[in-house]
Amino acid sequence: MLPARRTDSAHDQTLQSVVDRLTGGLSDRPDSPDGWVTAVRRMAPRAAEYAPFPDAIDPRLRQVLGTRGIEQLYTHQAAVVEHTLAGRNVVITTPTASGKTLCYNAPVLSEILKDPSARALYLFPTKALAQDQLAELHELADRLSHLSELEIGVFTYDGDTPQDARRAIRGRAHVVLSNADMLHSGILPHHPRWAKLFENLRYVVIDELHAYRGVFGSHLTNVLRRMRRICQHYGSNPTFICSSATIANPKELAEAIVEQPFELVSESGAPRGEKFFLFVNPPVVNQQLGIRRSYLAETRRIAGEFLKRQLQLIVFAQSRLTTEILTTYLKDDFGGQPGMQELIRGYRGGYLPQRRREIEKGLRDGTVRAVVSTNALELGIDIGALDVCVMAGYPGTIAATWQRAGRAGRRSGRSAAVLVASSAPLDQFVVRNPSYFFDAPPEHALINPDNLHILVDHVKCAAFELPFTTMEQYGKHDVQEVLGILEESGFVHRAGDDGDGTWQWTNESYPADAVSLRSISSDNFVVIDTSNGADVIGETSFTSGPPTLHEKAIYIIEGTLYQVEKLDFDGRKAYVRQIDCDYYTDAITYTKVTVLDTFAQGSGIGDQGSRAIDSADLRSPLPDPYARRSHGEVHVSSRVVGFKKIKFYTNENVGSGELDLPEQQMHTTAYWLTVPKAVMAALPFASDDRRDGVVGLSFAMRQVAQLLLMCDRQDIGISIGSSEMGSGVIFGGQSLDSDKHSGLSSKNDSRPHLPDEPRIFVYDNYPGGIGFSEPLYGMHDNLLARTRELIAGCECQHGCPTCVGPVGNTGPLAKMVALRILDLIAGAHSALQVSA
Amino acid sequence: MSSLADRLRGVLAPGSRERSNPELPSTSLGASRILDPGNDAAEILGGEWRETRGRRFLIVDRKYSPGYRHGQVTVADCLPPWPRLEVLASGGSCGPGMWGKPLFLDLETTGLAGGAGTYAFLVGCGWFEPFAASDSTRQPACFRTRQFFLSDFAAERALLESVAELAGGIDCVVTYNGKTFDLPLIDTRFALQRMAAPFADAAHVDMLHPARRMWREEDVECRLTRLEQTLCGYEREGDVPGFEIPSRYFRYVRSGDARPLAAVLEHNRLDIVSLAMLTARASRLLANGPSAATTPREAFGMGRLYERAGMLDEALACFQRARTVDAFRAAAVLLRRLRRYGEAAAAWRELLGTRDCPAGYVREAMEALAVHHEHRARDLEAARRFALQSLRLQATAARQDAVKYRLARIDRKLGMIERAAALF
Repeated sequence: MLPARRTDSAHDQTLQSVVDRLTGGLSDRPDSPDGWVTAVRRMAPRAAEYAPFPDAIDPRLRQVLGTRGIEQLYTHQAAVVEHTLAGRNVVITTPTASGKTLCYNAPVLSEILKDPSARALYLFPTKALAQDQLAELHELADRLSHLSELEIGVFTYDGDTPQDARRAIRGRAHVVLSNADMLHSGILPHHPRWAKLFENLRYVVIDELHAYRGVFGSHLTNVLRRMRRICQHYGSNPTFICSSATIANPKELAEAIVEQPFELVSESGAPRGEKFFLFVNPPVVNQQLGIRRSYLAETRRIAGEFLKRQLQLIVFAQSRLTTEILTTYLKDDFGGQPGMQELIRGYRGGYLPQRRREIEKGLRDGTVRAVVSTNALELGIDIGALDVCVMAGYPGTIAATWQRAGRAGRRSGRSAAVLVASSAPLDQFVVRNPSYFFDAPPEHALINPDNLHILVDHVKCAAFELPFTTMEQYGKHDVQEVLGILEESGFVHRAGDDGDGTWQWTNESYPADAVSLRSISSDNFVVIDTSNGADVIGETSFTSGPPTLHEKAIYIIEGTLYQVEKLDFDGRKAYVRQIDCDYYTDAITYTKVTVLDTFAQGSGIGDQGSRAIDSADLRSPLPDPYARRSHGEVHVSSRVVGFKKIKFYTNENVGSGELDLPEQQMHTTAYWLTVPKAVMAALPFASDDRRDGVVGLSFAMRQVAQLLLMCDRQDIGISIGSSEMGSGVIFGGQSLDSDKHSGLSSKNDSRPHLPDEPRIFVYDNYPGGIGFSEPLYGMHDNLLARTRELIAGCECQHGCPTCVGPVGNTGPLAKMVALRILDLIAGAHSALQVSA
Repeated sequence: MSSLADRLRGVLAPGSRERSNPELPSTSLGASRILDPGNDAAEILGGEWRETRGRRFLIVDRKYSPGYRHGQVTVADCLPPWPRLEVLASGGSCGPGMWGKPLFLDLETTGLAGGAGTYAFLVGCGWFEPFAASDSTRQPACFRTRQFFLSDFAAERALLESVAELAGGIDCVVTYNGKTFDLPLIDTRFALQRMAAPFADAAHVDMLHPARRMWREEDVECRLTRLEQTLCGYEREGDVPGFEIPSRYFRYVRSGDARPLAAVLEHNRLDIVSLAMLTARASRLLANGPSAATTPREAFGMGRLYERAGMLDEALACFQRARTVDAFRAAAVLLRRLRRYGEAAAAWRELLGTRDCPAGYVREAMEALAVHHEHRARDLEAARRFALQSLRLQATAARQDAVKYRLARIDRKLGMIERAAALF
C-alpha cells in the first residue's frame, strides 16, 4: 500500500522541489526557446472573494445549499445569478472548478420553486456531460422536494432516451438536459408535443459555448433562430446563460450565436493556490534532420518524477492510442507492487458510464493517483483538484490548453501544469514562442451563420416547423427571397394573399434529417474498413475527400494506419485496409483561385488605407510598391494530381504517385496578400529561388493562420495566383510542390511559373465560407509578424515542416527568400508610414 | 457580383443529396396562379365550398344506400348496432350504449414523417346514419362519408373547426393504424391551432391489431386493400398508389389542377368503406361467438381478443375450436390461470401430441406437466418422467440445473436419495 497523501505543507514543498528539479531551480525566469524547459511561469495565489446570496433567491434553495456547506457565493456566481434573475443574458468565462454550474442551477431552481410551471432547457456538447450534470441536479432536486413538496423533474432527452420514456419526460420535466443535435432534429420539428416546455421556457443554458465555433457554431446559431421563432409562437422569451472557456471574444461569440445582447462575467472570485506552468521541448537527438527525442518518453519521465513523490496527477494525450501507450508506460513504471495497478487508470469517452464514474470518484477521493486521458476529461466533469497536469502534445488551441491545465489546481497549496511539445509544427511553434501563449490574447472563435448552404438548410427546417409569413425576417439575408427560390424547387408554396400570406411546406421529407450540424453539406465521404468485413470507421467532408482518401493514401485514425484501396467518388465511399508501414502520404493538389468579388482592400498598416471597394478602384489599383491585403469572395477549383510518400519522424520523401481525380469547385471567401511587382523585382535571387520563397512564405502563413483562427489544418487552404483580373495561374496547392523536385511530369505543357505579382490566398475550405476571411484580413499585421517570427526563429537550416515546408518541397533558399520578402514588405510599409 | 438568387440556386443545384418532389410542374408558377382553383375543384371533386372568416375549404359528401355492394358485401350486411365492438378496443372505457355509433377516420397526409410540418390535406370521416342521438329510435340505414379537403393551406383552422363540429362528442373512433399515425397527427394539427382535439376522450378502435390477429397471412403485410380482397371480395381498379398521394396534392397546390386528386378522394372513400365493413365483420364474429370463426387463425385471434377483454369462457372455446399449436398453448396457459388444473394438464398433453410442435412449446409443456404432476396431481412417477424428458431439452446450463433440482426434489419425495445424489 502506498502511504497516504501528504499533508498540505509537505505536499507544497514536494511539488516545489520537483519543479525546481525540472527547471534548474529558477522559476519565473526569462524564456529560452532553445532550452529543454523553454518557459516557466508562476501564477500567484488568490484568495476567495465572496458575495451574499441575492435576495431574489428562494430561501428553500439557500437552505439546501447551506446543508452542503455553501453559505455564500463567490463574486462571479452572485453576479451571474443577479443578471439572470433580472432577465439579462449573461456569459461567464471563469476557469474550471470555479463553481460555474451553480451559476445557472441556482437561478433555474429558484425560479421553479417560485413558479412550478417554469421550464428550462440545458444544452451540452456531449451526452457524457449531460449525464454528469443530471446527477448533480437530481441531488439538489431531491433535497428540495423534502422542503417544498414539489417534484422537480430533471431529465436528459437525447438519442439514447428510450421511446416510452419520451412522452413521460415531455409531461414531467421542469429541466430538460439535451444537446444541439437533439434540439435540431428531435425537439423543434415536434414542437407541438413540447408545447408546455415552449410556453413556459424561462431559461436556456448553453454550456461550453466555445465549442460552438466554425461550422458547428454556425449551425447552432440557426437552430437557436428556429427555437426563438417557436418560443415566440408560444409566447415565451427565455433568458440565456452561457458558460465558456477563455477565448478572446466570449461576449461577441455569445451575441453572434444567440443574436441578443449579453453581459460578461469574467473575473473569478474562486480561490486559487500558487501555480507553475512549464513548457518542455524534448531535446534534439539528430541535428541534421532536426529530429527530437520522443515526446511520449519525455512525458513518461516527467510524470514519473511527480508520481514517485506521491503527487496526484492527470496526463492528457492527443489520441486514444497515445493514451493507451502512456497508460502502459506508467503502469510498467509503477505497477510493481500488488494493488498499485489501480492507482493508474486510463480514461476516455468511449468507456461505459459506470467505469467512468468509478475513475472520477477515485480521483476525487485520492485512490486513483494518476489518470491518463484523452480530451474527454478536459470538459466540466468534476474530478476534484489534482496536483499536476502533464500534457503530452499541444492541445491545439490556447483555450483548450488552459482548460486542461485547469484540472490541476487546488484552492490553496501549489499545483503545476507541464506542456510537453511533440515534433508537430504547431507544437514546436508554441513551445519555442511561449509569449504567443502566455502574453497574447487567446484565439477568437468565429462563425458564419449566414453561409448560404447552412442557412438554406435551416430555412427549410424552420418552414417545416412553422410556416413563414410573407412579412417575416430570418438571418441577414432576405428570407423572402430565399423562400422564393425554395419555391422554385418545390419545397414551399406561397399560400394566401400578398399582405397576409404564408409559405406552406410542400414536401414529403423531414428536412432536419438531411442536415448534419457538423458539416456544410451532408455530401460526405464515408471510410469503410474492409480488413474484417465492412465497417464504417470515419467520414470526411466532400472537399477533404480527394486529398485524404485518394487511392494508395494512408489514412490515420486514432493512431492506426489504413491504406485506401479504392475510392468510389460518385458513391462517396473509400475502401481501406489496415496496413503496417513507416510512411504517410501527402496529396499534391493544383488549385486555381479566381476572385469573384473583393469586399475590402488595404495597404495593411492598421486601419489606415483599408476601405471597401467600388468598381472604380478596381480599374486603378493602389500604387506599387506596397503590398496589399484583401478579402472577398472567390471561386476555388482544385484537382488532386498526385501524392508523395513521406517517412514518419524523418520526413524524408520516399516515393510518389500520380493520380487523376475529378476537379472540385466551390465558392467561398478568402483573404489574400498581394506581393508587389517591385518587391519581387528587388529580390536578388534566381527565378526558381524566388518562387521557392513565395511558396515557403505561403506555407508558413498557413501555419500561423491556423493558430490565429483557432482552426484545424483542413479548415483552410492556400493557393498562389496572379493579379490579372479573373484569371489565376494554376500553381500550387495544399502540399505545394515544385516540378523539379518531385519528378512528376506536369499535365500542362509549361511548367508552373511565378506571376510577376503573386497573390497568396488563404481561403475557407468550406463552400460559402465559414467566417475566417474578414477576421484574418483584420489580423493581417499580426499574421505577417508572427510568420516572420516563425521562419526566423526556426532552428532548421533549409526548411522543415514547422516553418516553410520540408526539404524537397522547396529549394534550399526558401527560408532566406521568404524572410527577405517579408522584410521588403515591412520596409516598404514603414516608408509608407513615414511619408503618410 | 452574382445575385442572392443566383447563389441560392447554386446551393440548391442537383449535386446536393436531398431531392425535391419527383413531380414538378414544367414551369415555375411562383405566387401567381393561372387557374382559378375555385369552382374547378368543387366540380371536379364533387363537393361544396364552405367558407369561414374569408377562408374556403371543400366538403365532399357521399351516401351509400343499404343495397350498395362492395365486392360481395352490402351496406345492409354491416349495419350496427355491434354489441361486441368494445372487445376490439384496447383501453378506453365507454358506456354500453355508445358502441353503436362509431366514427370511422382516415387521413391523407403530406408525408409519413410526422412532426409539425406534416399535415392532413384530406380528413375522411364515415358513419352509419342516422347518427345523432336524437334519432336513436330510427335504425341506421345507410353509410355516409364526409371528406374535408384543404384546398387552401390558410384555411386549416376553419377546416378543423368543421371536423370538430362533426366529431365533437363522439364516443368511439375507428381507424386503421391510427394509434401510431392518424390520431397523433390530427391531434398535432389541432394543437398547432390551439384547439382541443375532438378525439381525446373517445374510445379508440385501431383495427390493424385485431385484423392482424385474426386475418394476417404468412409473410404478407396486413394491408387494408388485401383484406378488402380476401374478406369482401372487392378488387380495386386504377387505385392510386399510396406513395403518389402527397405529390398529387402538391401538384394541385402549385398548379390548381384538381383532376389528379379525384382518384385520391376515391381511394380515401374506399378505405373508409372497407374499414367500416371490416369492423362490422369483426364485431359480428365476436358477437356470434366462437362457433362463428371460419378459419383456425380467425378462431385463435378471436380467442386472444376475448381473453384481453376478460371474456374467458369465450376465449377458451375459441382456442379449443382453433386446435392449432398456438391455440393449445394459449388454452393451457389460460386454464392454468383459471386454476382449472386438470383441464390445463389435458391441454398441455394435447399440445405435446401435435405435429410440428415448436421446441420452446415442448419444453414449456413438459415443465408445466412436471409441475402439475408433482404438486397437484401428486403423481410423482409421472412428474419424474416429464422432468427427465424436459431435462434433455434444456438449452442452457442454468435451465438444466433448475430441472435437476426439481428431479432431486421429486426423487427425495420418492425416497430415492441415492439417485438424487448421483445427479450432482
